[in-house]
Amino acid sequence: MTVSRREALGALAAAGLLGAGCRAPLPFGREAAFPAERVGDDEFERLLACFGYGARPGEAAQARELGAEAWFEGQLAAPDDEPLPLLARLLRLDVMHLSPWELRDWPEAAVLAQLQQATLLRAVESPWQLRERTVEFWNDHFNVYARKGLGAYRKPLDERLVARSHTFGHFPALLRASARSAAMLVYLDQQASQARHPNENYARELLELHTLGVDGGYTQRDVMEVARCFTGWTEERGFLKAKGAFKFDPALHDDGEKVVLGERIPAGGGVKDGERVLDIVSRHPATARHVSGKLCGFFLGDSAPRATAAVEMAFLDTGGSVKAMLQALFATGAWRDGAPVAKRPFDYAVSAVRALDGHTDGGRPLQDHLAAMGQAPHQWPMPDGYPIETEAWTGTLLARWNFALDLTRGGIGGTQVEVDRLERRGLTTEGLAGPTHSRLIESGTTSAEERWALALASPAFQWR
Amino acid sequence: MKREAWFCDGNGKLEAPGRRAVVLAAAGAAVGWLGARSAWAQAAFGESKGDPPLLVVVFLRGGADGLNVVVPYADEDYYRFRPSLGIARPGDRRVGVGQPALDLDGFFGLNPALAPLLPEYKEGRMAVVQAVGSRDTTRSHFEAMSAMERGARDSSSGDQGGWLARYLNATEDGSAPLRAVSFSSVAPESLGGATHALTVESLDRYSLDAGSEVGGLLERMYAQGDDLMTRAGRETLSLLKALAKADPQGARPEGGASYPDSPLGRAFRQVAFVARQGLGLEVACLESMGWDSHVAQGRTEGWLTELLADLGGSVAAFLTDMGREAARTTVVVMSEFGRRIEENAGFGTDHGSGGAMLVLGAGVTGGRVYGRWPGLAASFKREPGDLLVTTDYRDVLSEVVASRLRPVETGRVFPGHLAAPVGLMAGRS
Repeated sequence: MTVSRREALGALAAAGLLGAGCRAPLPFGREAAFPAERVGDDEFERLLACFGYGARPGEAAQARELGAEAWFEGQLAAPDDEPLPLLARLLRLDVMHLSPWELRDWPEAAVLAQLQQATLLRAVESPWQLRERTVEFWNDHFNVYARKGLGAYRKPLDERLVARSHTFGHFPALLRASARSAAMLVYLDQQASQARHPNENYARELLELHTLGVDGGYTQRDVMEVARCFTGWTEERGFLKAKGAFKFDPALHDDGEKVVLGERIPAGGGVKDGERVLDIVSRHPATARHVSGKLCGFFLGDSAPRATAAVEMAFLDTGGSVKAMLQALFATGAWRDGAPVAKRPFDYAVSAVRALDGHTDGGRPLQDHLAAMGQAPHQWPMPDGYPIETEAWTGTLLARWNFALDLTRGGIGGTQVEVDRLERRGLTTEGLAGPTHSRLIESGTTSAEERWALALASPAFQWR
Repeated sequence: MKREAWFCDGNGKLEAPGRRAVVLAAAGAAVGWLGARSAWAQAAFGESKGDPPLLVVVFLRGGADGLNVVVPYADEDYYRFRPSLGIARPGDRRVGVGQPALDLDGFFGLNPALAPLLPEYKEGRMAVVQAVGSRDTTRSHFEAMSAMERGARDSSSGDQGGWLARYLNATEDGSAPLRAVSFSSVAPESLGGATHALTVESLDRYSLDAGSEVGGLLERMYAQGDDLMTRAGRETLSLLKALAKADPQGARPEGGASYPDSPLGRAFRQVAFVARQGLGLEVACLESMGWDSHVAQGRTEGWLTELLADLGGSVAAFLTDMGREAARTTVVVMSEFGRRIEENAGFGTDHGSGGAMLVLGAGVTGGRVYGRWPGLAASFKREPGDLLVTTDYRDVLSEVVASRLRPVETGRVFPGHLAAPVGLMAGRS
């Protein structure tokens, strides 16, 4: 008899061996415990759960035919456009093509709803799952809170020009796009920064969160100098102007000499000062380390340390090619045999619809459930993005269970799953809940809808 | 399909266990999950033993501007550094300077938006600590919050896990189902590593939307397993059971208390509610978001004023609502850092160091401002011009723990920290 991956993991965990030596210290009082039941023991289930939002029935088998590497490379080579039916639905959403200044007469709630709708539609329906996953990562990395200062109007353009234009591109280009995004600049108060007394908010988060990392070797003095460099980087405002477009205002700029991370930036540089800063931090080795660590944490959870060195090397070798970093991450195989990763609510909800081969219009009823679970897209107030730590999400289980119940009984308007059809196709709850809990669920006398809800509510389905 | 009410009907009455539930219980499904609350209540914290002391920790996320919360109006440099943001001296009725500060001790004044708390101060139930903080110098929200929530000196030192979790784990005896609760969307780091602690955004609509058999099956699925999600599932089911009879939305605050209609107000109302359920609640973590006032923070109008009014109104309503039980309740208000002494060009303030803390309620020797005042001019000399920290925040928290909570060596809660006396808490009664 072969020992399954789950049993092997369990034994290792019990012996305290798993990840020894390479794991960040666990919080006080916590041991490395993994779920007793585990879904996706199949390599290809795991492939789709790590680099996408889980497999629809049958998709793992298709990936198996293709081979893991071919599947992955195919995902990296995604065409710009979505398949026609999905594209048609997306193009009906005005946020997909309008700019902030064109959206201005709309109610904020409607813009925010469409923004979330586009995100959900693509996550559930797009065949280009790795792109959606990676966009989610960049949206967290360059987090903008859509409820601050009318950010909802600016965020659609921000996502188009930043996370979606450079999903698998080069980090320096991503960073430059983000630094010229009105959504980001206003979110971090850059419009209120001027030579007389610069505002440090954007400068600090640029160094701490977007590039070097808090241990990246910068000082408070560097933050203040970077803030001086970015004075004048703001958004277009005023009557008949394209409000929400990037603008450099020389009148607000501090044109004196600056020194950033030991490099002298001569006086009189104007808008070039900020660009120079972006160059300096883009090629700083601390940025390679920080961004690689975050990327690995997002995809691999506790197993991230197995991949960070390789991914960091890829960043340094290629000048920050995201594609190369993802290829390096894939090549470590940590997605195949690493520790389970707890699903965040967005991942949980999307993977639930997909696991039941369901479809959604991404409308408000589904958005309301995500809000109740604590992860409505684009609504994390702090600049660090939604957390990835398991501890942060353990309070969301009741909302997840109620979501699962509502989903299978057809109570979420615009979102459909057909559990009868799943059963006619011979599918069982075992693939979601694991064998023991599946037997328990099937032993009850609940309805088919409740059986599938319980499978989604099981401990195993909270992990990938 | 007819949906059974799992725990309660619309009136909050407990439904008789259905046939299936009885069968399940007879089949040995974990602990019977209907009506279990009363057993806990009577066994652990019945009226004979009384409810334990309650500590409510409010974290103002974003870095609250301590200099405009507890205003050093008599420091001659205050109005020089804050020409457009300075809160006017008490009694200053000039037009255009906004509401004046409320005098505390002839040197400091309370932000007028905190007026609901002034009686607490005047009557000796609120203490103020000024120029307090951690030794963190990153000026990063996340690092500074993490340092404080772990109970560490600064972000690069200290143990993993939260300081409140360390207290809870050091004193765990298995007697109470819900010792700690956090009302937030994600769990705070201060409770990281705690058992019998639950994070919940709101108790309104805190019920499972299914029949009794589904509840029983969930309980069996989550009965075993030591991973974080499974443990959290057990705690969630415990709370569902415990609250089966209760109706948090229908509960009327006592003493005519009127909570602000805000996330913080609702959270305080729910703390008062949970504290009365006989679950052994000792610690509640609340948070208020949005204190990162880089821009347009306003003098006595604007959003900082709104946040302070929300804070003051919520705390005051909570103490009123607790009524006689306020005698077992202590509230601590803290933030990850204060803000830069000098205002910026956007009529806001950037990240700083020393800030202010408020401690209210049981055991507090109030009516005083604690901590050594470092002076604005002296603080400003050191780049980048932040209020110096003269009181370690752990000294304040150590004193609160030692005087209010179960007996525990404070060195176990704040490892490596030798607490210096601040004097704001009366000794253990």
